[in-house]
Amino acid sequence: MEGRPADDSELISRAQRGDAAAYEEIVQRYQQLAFRTAYVVTGSAADAEDAAQEGFVKAYRALGRFRAGAEWRPWLLRIVANEARNRVRSSGRRHRLELRLTEGFRPGDAAPSPEAVAVALDERKRLLAMVNSLSDEDREVIASRYFLELNGEETAAALGIPEGTVKSRLSRALARLRTRVEEAANA
Amino acid sequence: MPDLEERLTALAPAIDWPPTPAPLWRGAQQREAADRQWRWNNRWALAAAAVLLIVATLLAYTPTRDAIADWVNVHTIFRRTETPPPSPSPLPPGPPGRYLNLGTQVSLAEARQGVAWTILLPAALGSPDAVYLQQPPSVPSGGEVSLVYVRSDIKTSGLTGVSVLVTEARGRVEEQYFQKTLGPGVTIEQVTVNGHSGYWISGRPHQFVITDAEGNPYPETLRLATNTLVIDEGGTLVRIEGDLSKDQAIQIARSMS
Repeated sequence: MEGRPADDSELISRAQRGDAAAYEEIVQRYQQLAFRTAYVVTGSAADAEDAAQEGFVKAYRALGRFRAGAEWRPWLLRIVANEARNRVRSSGRRHRLELRLTEGFRPGDAAPSPEAVAVALDERKRLLAMVNSLSDEDREVIASRYFLELNGEETAAALGIPEGTVKSRLSRALARLRTRVEEAANA
Repeated sequence: MPDLEERLTALAPAIDWPPTPAPLWRGAQQREAADRQWRWNNRWALAAAAVLLIVATLLAYTPTRDAIADWVNVHTIFRRTETPPPSPSPLPPGPPGRYLNLGTQVSLAEARQGVAWTILLPAALGSPDAVYLQQPPSVPSGGEVSLVYVRSDIKTSGLTGVSVLVTEARGRVEEQYFQKTLGPGVTIEQVTVNGHSGYWISGRPHQFVITDAEGNPYPETLRLATNTLVIDEGGTLVRIEGDLSKDQAIQIARSMS
């Protein structure tokens, strides 16, 4: 394609007509999202890689059933997350998702003092540790919504639950996290 | 103190996600590069092998497979992914092998009518307990016949109730790809049975690829995920899967006629 990059729906309809290069482009656009979503579900990079690859293959085969005008991200994420859950089920064990902060991440956009950076970093580490300490269900919904930055429909697809359930699950998870944060502050 | 949701949102860019594996498609085009990496970095080569498998899988289902085949020149690979050990579960009802996705259950006579080549039968195993026939495009040109055996002296797969699965299709395997793309925990050995060359693959192979008479690659699932003997019987590719020792598998192969 010359000039502007093709938008998703254009790529999808080209892929539906058998254009492998168009699907390649789709895979490149969404592989990170697919892999990370699978990682949230499986807690294992190897399982996530496998699930994301399999998900892209299945999505490719199912392209004919993708309706023009439908939302692509939740459609893809549902397939990938389903693959991820199958892996968790068939292996009979789930790796505990352990999220970490990037080394060298510097919060804040101004030029804060080293002390302020250290305090902010420490605060983030503690918050993430609390997220990690939540139940699988709570951690998954928080990671999907805030860290993967999925919307409600996409979160529902990633977790394999109805969209309405996402809201209630999220608010319960936030309430539990808030309690822990407050307890830690008062300790 | 900002709102909890704001603080969580602010964490997003700081999350240390595991690196997303090398691009699925482009990586495949760099097969040569991946082969070079294999020598000094197994991990990357294994990832490339998985990528090649994905491409190969797609090759079987896409009208543009000839085009993709040109990019990657893939013929035969192993997938590194291990299938988890089967967990004990009640045997599925119906004829053995019905959940293995082997195609339509047919009688031996119907299978013979369904293909233009001669189906070989392993005398050592007696009559098959079920026969399945599958026609292209999901299998190599010429069709594929699966013979399912349940034998009290050979351990059955817990998930399928099948002791031995013998699958036959017209096609060939290409040695060079076997050697290059083996995953950890899988070993391969060249064998000769009745003057025909073959491979004894032990460990937990998951899938491999054969090329059919037209040279199209087909990913073939090794459904029992156990030891496998692959023999090229004069253009008919026979593979014998099961919880078998090498000697047992060769004995079965020798009895094919």
